[in-house]
Amino acid sequence: MSKKNYLLSLFIGFSLLSGCAVNETASVKIDESNQKQTIIEPNSGLFSQDITVTDTIVAKAGDLLKVQVTIKNDSRNDAKFQYKFKWLDKDGFELSLDSRPWQPLSITAYESKNVQAVAPNPSAASFKILVQD
Amino acid sequence: MLKKLNAKPLFLATALLATGIGISGCSEKIAYGDATATETTTIGFGSTDLQSIATKMVDDVLASPFVAEVSKQGRPVAFVDKIKNKTTEHIDTESITDSIQTKLLQSGKFRFVDMTAVEQVKKQLNYQQEGGLVDPAKAVALGKQTGAQYMLYGNLSSIQKRNDDKKDVYYKFTMKVLNLETAELEWASEKEIRKTGEKTFLAL
Repeated sequence: MSKKNYLLSLFIGFSLLSGCAVNETASVKIDESNQKQTIIEPNSGLFSQDITVTDTIVAKAGDLLKVQVTIKNDSRNDAKFQYKFKWLDKDGFELSLDSRPWQPLSITAYESKNVQAVAPNPSAASFKILVQD
Repeated sequence: MLKKLNAKPLFLATALLATGIGISGCSEKIAYGDATATETTTIGFGSTDLQSIATKMVDDVLASPFVAEVSKQGRPVAFVDKIKNKTTEHIDTESITDSIQTKLLQSGKFRFVDMTAVEQVKKQLNYQQEGGLVDPAKAVALGKQTGAQYMLYGNLSSIQKRNDDKKDVYYKFTMKVLNLETAELEWASEKEIRKTGEKTFLAL
């Protein structure tokens, strides 16, 4: 998937999530050739239409996966919500269950913020970012 | 006649409803919650702060060039010293370092010696060596423990301000890794947390 398509699908995924109270957003899988594969799972609405994920970067810190997700607030109001990363191994097992907390995040009007995470161990092959308000 | 038949169920329903309201009015509801959920019961140091600090410290140290460098030569041995609590609150800082230590151990990048267990270990080794009850061939050999190469330590400080309507608390957690051989600081990171509380009218 080209970077443009990938960003577009993430954008669509987040745009679909509107309303309040929610979860699941996007997951990014890294295959053996180090290519990103994005799966969008918009199963309920949360993010307002004014908030989008504009970019995700995946790299290795030693043998650990390191990710950065850029979230932009396009509205003229502050956005306050919570996010959480989940890490999965290549078979889909979640690593270190419940070891990462919901983290509160506040983004002022028209600002972008990056959130980062590092895999808990080298067996991580993909991650999910979940959001709720 | 019809009126008379309907009156009984109506009376019963009303009585049940009244009893229900009466019971629910003074009962305490207990429920299990998500341990990783954001907790904002009071403005004081809470579980979300503890978890956020531990997560940020572990992410930072694992992604640092220092760990990339030292993990090439195997898993360095470290020990966790106390985190000084410089806030005005009673905070169990050992709980923070326990979380950090557990996550670092699970990452496979570090090994730890536990200085909080030294006394118990000594006691057990003395028992094995001097008690006369343990088969000397099966007793743990002395003088084979591993010395730590690195020390993890830090501070937790806070600034609290309040006026009649607003409360503001700022926490700063600093963690450092010191090379015990050279006394050089190899790595350090900070996590800042700001929380505000405001009195609301009729909880609006």
